[in-house]
Amino acid sequence: MNEIANGLLPTVLSRPYRYVKLEWNADFSMLTVRMGVRPIQCYSLAAMAELQQVFNDITANPGLVRHFVMASDVVGVFNFGGDLSLFVLLVRAHDLDSLRLYARRCIDLVWWWENAATLGVHTTALVQGDALGGGLESALLHHTVICERGAQAGFPEVLFNLFPGMGGWNLAIRRGGFSVANDLILSGQIYTADQLFRRGLVDMVVEDGEAPAALERMVHAMEPRFRGTIAALQARRVAAPISHEMLQTIVDHWAVTALSLNTRDMRLMERLARAQVRKVGGASEGAVEEIKRMELDTAWGFERTGVSEWATLE
Amino acid sequence: MSNFFIDLVGSTDEARREFETSSKVLDIVANGLPLTRYQNLLLELYHVVWHFNPTCAAAAARMTDAHQSIRYFLYDHMKEEKGHEEWVLNDLAVVGVTADRAKSYKPSLVLLGLNGYNYWSADRRHPCSVLGMIYALEVVASVYGGPMTSAITDSLLLEGDRGITFISSHATMDAEHMVELRVILNQIEDEAAKQAVVESTIFNFHQFGRVLELI
Repeated sequence: MNEIANGLLPTVLSRPYRYVKLEWNADFSMLTVRMGVRPIQCYSLAAMAELQQVFNDITANPGLVRHFVMASDVVGVFNFGGDLSLFVLLVRAHDLDSLRLYARRCIDLVWWWENAATLGVHTTALVQGDALGGGLESALLHHTVICERGAQAGFPEVLFNLFPGMGGWNLAIRRGGFSVANDLILSGQIYTADQLFRRGLVDMVVEDGEAPAALERMVHAMEPRFRGTIAALQARRVAAPISHEMLQTIVDHWAVTALSLNTRDMRLMERLARAQVRKVGGASEGAVEEIKRMELDTAWGFERTGVSEWATLE
Repeated sequence: MSNFFIDLVGSTDEARREFETSSKVLDIVANGLPLTRYQNLLLELYHVVWHFNPTCAAAAARMTDAHQSIRYFLYDHMKEEKGHEEWVLNDLAVVGVTADRAKSYKPSLVLLGLNGYNYWSADRRHPCSVLGMIYALEVVASVYGGPMTSAITDSLLLEGDRGITFISSHATMDAEHMVELRVILNQIEDEAAKQAVVESTIFNFHQFGRVLELI
């Protein structure tokens, strides 16, 4: 365990949670939230409700939390983003209202992260495993992203005719610029930690297992200039604004797009979910490897034969 | 018109995820089933399907005109589901189980509990509770039926739809049913009916998950 994550949680933050574990470091007023949605780490409705409660408690107690750290309690995975089964259910029920509701709950979380600096909170993502789709969006939301070398990340949504709708475009453009965002979102490609770093999408790459120590060094180093950092991050929001209206417009477009997914698209989603389930069960390859196969097949299978295995799924 | 469908999805999401993340369900989705366990699954399913329409009929018989549209929905739904137990028998025949054996098979206690609850709930709790049974079974079929079909087909080397027509066809068909079900659920206004549907959904997810664990 991280040496600096050893304190008793303040009473106002102590609630019985099922999907998030809270760790408190009193020296730095640092709250670490470890999300653990098993067996597939994703933003389920219940997990999002717990996270929202944590955010509400932080907001209701100004000055209590100075550092917010998002980490995973699931080995090898930071987060796989949206709850694919729930998406399939809502798309099959042709339920635009529920898709919008789910998306807007995501945006509520996004908006808290986006406003954290105005609450005097610095946020850090510890990416110690793979981050896909909404999982990557949620990592990019943090002021600082520390990524371990073995982690991989990307936005595979375009492979099943969707796109990252919960701030993905805004955050990727803000961090890496328009060209990087285009490449990241429109290719559906999975990037290594070093590739993410070279594109400016993450702030630091460290060896596997060293993210907590890197966090500790960063927090130590930031301490004497904490107020200035927070003020600068508040100003950054003015310099590169993301508005709630913008997020909502995109997310509504996402919900309408999701409704147009066809059987082939949903089978691809199911296939990814199934690959991940196999990995949880001990197989060596999971969703990330499945996405890479899909990329290869799209690029080479179509080149060679004019037919992509994925294109034939109906 | 209410937005009960959204509330139902939200308030039963934990139960759905409990079902989805049961180790046995995960194993079926990832690795399919060996022959004996697939036979057991179909034998249990036969008794789920056999009781589906009688449960709907029991509920419809107890519905007042306050829920006339739901009663009519059940009539239509029963017509669509009529004879589907024969599909299970056909699949069983492909994997080597005779119709006689299926009909004389004693379902697990968990399944008896599931069917018993659904009859009791339609009779004594609230007739609208039957929509919880329908919702849970259609989610299982339309959301998980596809991956289960692929996994079972792969593990048993089945050719095309042979031996798996019941599960594979419901994975597709129930997608259309989900749209109709959402529309009818959004017509429910009274709290007692809503609570009965939520309870029934949670129980059906729970119990169906246990059935899959037992096979």
